[in-house]
Amino acid sequence: MTLPDLASQFVYGRLAWAAVAAAVLFALLPLLRSASLSRRARSALLAGIAALFLLPGAASPAYWLTLAFQYPSGLLFGCCVLKLRQHWDGQDDVAPVMTPPLAAALALTGLVLYLDAMGLLTQGYYYAGFGPTAAPMLAVLGAIGCAVALVRGHARAQAGALLTTILLFTLLRLPTGNLWDALLDPLLWGWAVVTLAVNAVRNRVRTPATTAPEPVAGLAAELQSLNSLSPLGATAMEHSSTIKE
Amino acid sequence: MESSRFAQLCVRHRTALVCLLAVLTVITAEGVRWARAKRAATTPTTVGVVTHGAARLTEISNSFIPMPRDVPSAHASALTTLPGDRMLAFWWAGDRESAPNVKVYAARWQDGKWGQPWEVASRASLGKALGFGVRRIGNPVAWTAHDGRIHLYVVATGMGGWAASRLVHLVSNDQGASFAVRRLLPMSPLFNTSVLVRTSPVGLVDGGWWLPVYFEIGIKYPMLMSFDADGDPSWMARIGSRISTLQPTVVPVSKTEIRAWMRDASDEQRVQQAYSRDGGASWEDLPALDLPNQSTSLAAIRLRNGEFLMLHNHVEGDATSRSILRLSISANGRTWRPFVDIASGDAGDEFSYPTMQQVGNELHIAYTYQRRAIAHHRYRITLGDNH
Repeated sequence: MTLPDLASQFVYGRLAWAAVAAAVLFALLPLLRSASLSRRARSALLAGIAALFLLPGAASPAYWLTLAFQYPSGLLFGCCVLKLRQHWDGQDDVAPVMTPPLAAALALTGLVLYLDAMGLLTQGYYYAGFGPTAAPMLAVLGAIGCAVALVRGHARAQAGALLTTILLFTLLRLPTGNLWDALLDPLLWGWAVVTLAVNAVRNRVRTPATTAPEPVAGLAAELQSLNSLSPLGATAMEHSSTIKE
Repeated sequence: MESSRFAQLCVRHRTALVCLLAVLTVITAEGVRWARAKRAATTPTTVGVVTHGAARLTEISNSFIPMPRDVPSAHASALTTLPGDRMLAFWWAGDRESAPNVKVYAARWQDGKWGQPWEVASRASLGKALGFGVRRIGNPVAWTAHDGRIHLYVVATGMGGWAASRLVHLVSNDQGASFAVRRLLPMSPLFNTSVLVRTSPVGLVDGGWWLPVYFEIGIKYPMLMSFDADGDPSWMARIGSRISTLQPTVVPVSKTEIRAWMRDASDEQRVQQAYSRDGGASWEDLPALDLPNQSTSLAAIRLRNGEFLMLHNHVEGDATSRSILRLSISANGRTWRPFVDIASGDAGDEFSYPTMQQVGNELHIAYTYQRRAIAHHRYRITLGDNH
């Protein structure tokens, strides 16, 4: 078990929380109807956030964020940097940073890890993140996978963020010395779960227009048959109605 | 057109080169770490059974550890031995549990008496050293390593109550006069919260030690964190699979057989136990002991005649959960008989959170006295027919 020293955690915490805060702020800007900030204004905002987070002691928001949430995972840090770059390039809607495959992998891994940490499973998955064999092996395999994805041009942004996360973990053991803490944290897990939920709702909204509903049982079936009294359904009823005849 | 394709090829080659370097870096760093990793199973130090016959205790003295001035509340004491039959006691004190002015204090036992207490850790000192805030201070636990350094583990919470607890590891190079924060121990993937310490560490043959810890956020379960001789964590294990036990007190019986007794937070209200056959790597739950436990902390050690001693709160008659502090004894760890009542009061009185250390042929017991002070009892242990 190799753990990072306190000084490197201190620096990492300030930088990572600054990136997360900036990404959240830039994501909220469109809601505040200030999306059309000039590049100079965005630079000033970023510089202001960086300066604020580098303030000493309790003057820095990182002091309080670390109190509440500890350190962001390396992957959350990386994803936030990617989001910031998209904002910077004005490409917010080009491609999501949290893609459905990444979200599904994070959500499932987090679910198992957190159930285990809560004591509902007894496998000790978190402890394995410190282990001398499995964790290094996973880091090496992950690095190779990311390198292959980058060279082939598949999910390059996400692969780059993950490879950087693994490098940060391997070289400096940041953020905590545990591989799981490098790959995942409850905030990133929440982001992944929300992404999956939003995608599921969107797919559900789109589905009725393109595909026929599947038969369902019970009350749901009755509600579905009531719903089928659409203009098309009503026409079908008209043709088979004995009353009209 | 040709120059554009050439440029693309260059970018691709550059990407491949950077990726190759990154992968080689990861393989080299992890390979070196893997080769250096200590895989030897840790072996606990055990009490060699050299004396046969019954144990007897004779009280030598009882007193209170001096409290800091103008501090009305004290709780959760811990003892660690120093060379030359000396000891250090640690506890937290302040206006009340979780109050902003709660700090960890220490006092030294030397030449048969306690010295004046001094401050060891506070919210401000921990926050300054860690670089982030600490909301409240909780239980301390201490261990004196073979190299003379004293390792202190202190509960420090984040946002929230005790469920937001984290563990700060401090080290003293001057026999406890001053402590420096070494690190915050990473114990949980859930914002590193809900892990606490309470009970005494257990020494290992290689100079390391086990730190008993527990998870507590509605669900409660005990764990073990192993440290090497330098004070770096080496591995962790969960003790059993119950989800309503906490504050494990761990006693090695042999190199492979380890026993743990736990505070019970279930409706069963009995002292819970678990057992390891492989030197603490894996644990199985055993049926609860026939000793009452209404969610109170306990402590256990093994004597040189092979018998076990357990300090626990007994409940009978009109007694409340913490109004009787009893020392029980057992030859096998399963059946226990009352040995001596250390403290006994009226319903509602509190004599709780006991800890004990054997120093030479003396047994030192410390516990919370009515949440106002830390009481200390000293007994002479006589084994067999020796007088």
